[in-house]
Amino acid sequence: MDSERINELLNKYWNCETSLEEEQYLREYFKAGPIADEHKDAAPLFQYFGEHKKKSLPEETFDDRIVNLVSRKKSKVVQWTQSYMRIAAGIAVLLAATWFIQTEMSKTKSAEVQDTYEDPKLAFEETKKALMMISRGFGKAEQEAKKINLFNEAREEIQKPDNDTTNL
Amino acid sequence: MNIEAFQNRVLPVKNKLFRFALRFLNNEEEAKDVVQEVFIRVWNGREQMNEVQNWEAWCMRITKNLSLDRIRSMTRKQTQSIEDTFDVKNESLTPHESTEADESMQRINQLISGLPEKQRQIIHLRDVEGYSYNEICDILQLDMNQVKVNLFRARNAVREKLIKINAYGL
Repeated sequence: MDSERINELLNKYWNCETSLEEEQYLREYFKAGPIADEHKDAAPLFQYFGEHKKKSLPEETFDDRIVNLVSRKKSKVVQWTQSYMRIAAGIAVLLAATWFIQTEMSKTKSAEVQDTYEDPKLAFEETKKALMMISRGFGKAEQEAKKINLFNEAREEIQKPDNDTTNL
Repeated sequence: MNIEAFQNRVLPVKNKLFRFALRFLNNEEEAKDVVQEVFIRVWNGREQMNEVQNWEAWCMRITKNLSLDRIRSMTRKQTQSIEDTFDVKNESLTPHESTEADESMQRINQLISGLPEKQRQIIHLRDVEGYSYNEICDILQLDMNQVKVNLFRARNAVREKLIKINAYGL
């Protein structure tokens, strides 16, 4: 390599006037050798830069560890789909419940319908029997109520003179 | 960004981040932990990445901040004196490396470790990683003038010591 050119570049380097390419050129020069005696002072510095750039992390194991760590944390898309799935599951449960209740209710209704009599005459007889039972009950209750009424009238009779005395 | 894009675009900068973290921490395990944390943060904030102009500089900035946080928590835990921490910095080469590297390389290492923090960061970003001045401004959040002045000081401090070493064997 041209010794003059290196001298010139080194001067520029110390004055911070070199471009990145020129600095790279210097590093290459000191790495490849042979190095002219006049440049030996600066050699360890550039070799040090080169050596330091070699430090690296283990290629595969480190990448794998990072990818594992990162993919363990759920991505936003996964989080969204999961929450939507939850909402969908909730709606599904509600729909199933309403369907179940509706079918149950229709079952009980149909049971009542089955209980009614097919034959209208028989139904009329049964209804009459039921109404007669109620009517008998009412008749009996009326008689008993009349007895209670007697007591009420008697009590009113007794209370009357009391009211008179308080008025006096 | 999906995991493939993350693997192909972001993970390849890992060594730059690792070396930068190592600059601060001088401990490979700690530096590795920092880089791991940086990637998790980048993944979690991947939606912002489209807004960031230079995402590599953004990653480097996170690395710097996390490394500084770690140094702070380490010094809090250990209650070490400043002299002790400086000793640790000078021993940044592993035993294997120190037997391999020749004396002058060790000297350079000590020289650069002895530079003020900002100068050390800038000379690393420029001369080891080959970042442009604009990128260094972006990473360290400094203006161009500060970057250039600090780089000039760093290079010249190293140059003076190198001349002394070669002239008097100091």
